[in-house]
Amino acid sequence: MRAAGIVLIAGLLALAAALVLVLSGSPAVLAGTNGIEPAARLAAVPGSGSGCQARETLPAHTTAIRLSLEASSGPRVAIAVRAPAAGTAGAGGTAGSAGAAAAVRAAGTAGAVGPIVARGQSAPGWLAKVVTVPLAPLDRAVRDVTVCFAFRGANERISFLGAPSARRVAASYSAGRPVGSPAGGAAGGLPGSPGGVRALPGRIAIEYLRAGSRSWWSLASSTARRMGLGRAWAGTWVAIAVACLMASAIAAGAWLIVRESR
Amino acid sequence: MSARRRTGGRARPATARPATARPGAGRAGAGPPGAGRAGAGRVGVATRDVARRVRQALARVPTAAWLCALVACVNAVSWSLVTPPFQVPDEQAHFAYVEELARTQRLPSSSTQDYAPDEVLALEELEVGRVSFQPEHGTIASRAQQRKLARDIARAVSAFGSSRGVGAAGDAASEPPLYYALEAIPYELGAGGGVLDQLALMRLLSAVFAGLTALFAFLFVREALPASRVSWTVAGLAVAVMPALGSISGAVNPEAMLCAVAAALFYCLARAFRRGLTRRGALAIGALTAVGFLTKLNFLGLAPGVALGLALLSGRMGREAGARHAVRVLAPGLALAASPVCVYVAINVLSHHHTLGFSSGALAATYKRSLAGEASYIWQLYLPRLPGMGVDFGDISPLRDLWFRGLVGEYGFEDTFLPRWVDTVAAVAVAAILALAARAAFVRARALARRAGELAVYAAMAVGLLVLVGASSYLSFPAEAAGFPEPRYVLPLVALLAAALALAVRGAGRRWGAAAGALIVVLFIAHDVFSQLQVIARYYG
Repeated sequence: MRAAGIVLIAGLLALAAALVLVLSGSPAVLAGTNGIEPAARLAAVPGSGSGCQARETLPAHTTAIRLSLEASSGPRVAIAVRAPAAGTAGAGGTAGSAGAAAAVRAAGTAGAVGPIVARGQSAPGWLAKVVTVPLAPLDRAVRDVTVCFAFRGANERISFLGAPSARRVAASYSAGRPVGSPAGGAAGGLPGSPGGVRALPGRIAIEYLRAGSRSWWSLASSTARRMGLGRAWAGTWVAIAVACLMASAIAAGAWLIVRESR
Repeated sequence: MSARRRTGGRARPATARPATARPGAGRAGAGPPGAGRAGAGRVGVATRDVARRVRQALARVPTAAWLCALVACVNAVSWSLVTPPFQVPDEQAHFAYVEELARTQRLPSSSTQDYAPDEVLALEELEVGRVSFQPEHGTIASRAQQRKLARDIARAVSAFGSSRGVGAAGDAASEPPLYYALEAIPYELGAGGGVLDQLALMRLLSAVFAGLTALFAFLFVREALPASRVSWTVAGLAVAVMPALGSISGAVNPEAMLCAVAAALFYCLARAFRRGLTRRGALAIGALTAVGFLTKLNFLGLAPGVALGLALLSGRMGREAGARHAVRVLAPGLALAASPVCVYVAINVLSHHHTLGFSSGALAATYKRSLAGEASYIWQLYLPRLPGMGVDFGDISPLRDLWFRGLVGEYGFEDTFLPRWVDTVAAVAVAAILALAARAAFVRARALARRAGELAVYAAMAVGLLVLVGASSYLSFPAEAAGFPEPRYVLPLVALLAAALALAVRGAGRRWGAAAGALIVVLFIAHDVFSQLQVIARYYG
């Protein structure tokens, strides 16, 4: 019983400490967006694919890129951000993994000849309409970058979401093997486009995230206020009720464990 | 505690008590003049008898089990407040089903997503379509939006009045009606306040099912692993604060009720294997099976395991008390279990619909495809691909990326997730728990071997459900690699998780068992707390 009590108290104290630590951190906030709404399905690519979109701005301190792709069980997605030719070399130019290499090749094929300033890779198994790819942050913004991405090994169609645009500013993509890979573009190649690269009918929605400067503590009141909206019985009481319910559930559970281990 | 009540697994003949011993028995032969009164009296006595037995049965449930149920209820209510309206998979469709059932007293006839006008209004004003699947969008954020929402919903309530519009039930249309019929009660109670009031009350009913799930998980472990008292509480509490269960039971979703029904079935089967099958036990299993069929189509996956359990139990009874006695005990339960299916088929046949209603289409679609391909797909959905199998999931590991990661931390429309490093921490915890459970199983290997039949029944229920989920997912393959499988579909097996946790407590040994149990409960509590915080951050941060 004594050991159970000690473990319980130590565990709950550790939980409280972890809570304080987490709430002292800052949530990721939107550092920038390309202003495109992911309202239209621009293309759907089976298996492997890649794409590049120029005329993007990578905000300073970006820690992740949200790319509007859609899947029920998405594959690993690699991103490489290439600066314009005279841009700043940041994260180096060597590819760390097969996926990253594909994204780098995609960047090269798309004519984005500057150095790679940032790259990252998502975990596989993502679902829904965005995939978030973490990046190593740069301490300053880089304008006019080309964001390239690549994925492979998906056994379903991966959709690119965005909005229609003029062809000259549209994103490019390739189905099948990632663009720039030794065997060229899509299986059999895509008509009318060297290497299987073709223009999308629009631009893909992209968002850039960075670590926020305000802690969760300082956001507590606004978060609690928002929790109370869109409810049957609106009000900040919702947040207070959740806190009370969880506290009482934890207290009851702890008491029960101590009682039963006697 | 219950070990003391152990009966050695001997079945007591259901007819052991003479009929005349029952109050009111023997009046059946009363002459015509008194027949009505005698009949009414018999019914009254029988009702009182049943009520007394129920009271006695409830009084035998340990306080710890009730507390686990209470904790589960409270946790699910908390989840119902944390989760924004309609931000759980298919909640819109489940709400629409209840709405149609309550307004027309008829089952849904269309599976389109043309919901009733008041629901559509709420969905639009809450920006549900914009928020779901897109974690970059939170819920409504201004008081002006809230005022407009409240005003429009109030206007809709007064405008629709008694001639409220009726819509279709979306994806839920093919589901059986029992859960929705129960949800019609809170729906009607909240009718004066509009859609959001109704939804909030309906979610509270789902939370009650979370309590029942934890209660029966506790009781199942007490029957299946009676030696360690603290392990029952650890198992019950872990289930009670399990975030996946809280999330789904804090929403309008028949999965909440199915979890409770499945946990109750596991308990009844464990009890029957331990104490022998009585007529009352068979009736309980039959009634729960019927309720399961009427709750959600996924119950079909559990049914073969239940049938196997009844077959093994009746075989054992036949050997001990004779085949005729076994049939007498089993027949009413079987008839009760099969009745919903028979009635459903009869209604469909008489109304010139497909024999199995909406399900017929899915079955027909299955038959048109390769059986070997389907078997390979289902295998790969849960297990590593074998040589010679086609690649159905690319570089994704379904076990890791869909099931494990999903159960560890994906909520809402699976667009809300814990950071990936949590998976690693969870994997370490799961490995430790499995190691302790394996140790307990190894130490008691002989005792477990004697219970091979019982274990086969639980395995059959689990495999049946997994195969059903896989077969359903295969319908949308290859357009979607894994369009259907969601971790919530395996929640009806939560009683088995409870048993594994109880085994882990025992595996830690007599000295450290309680401490290991306390650690497991703390881990589950931490998981729950941070999961709710993640949902709060996603929608309101």
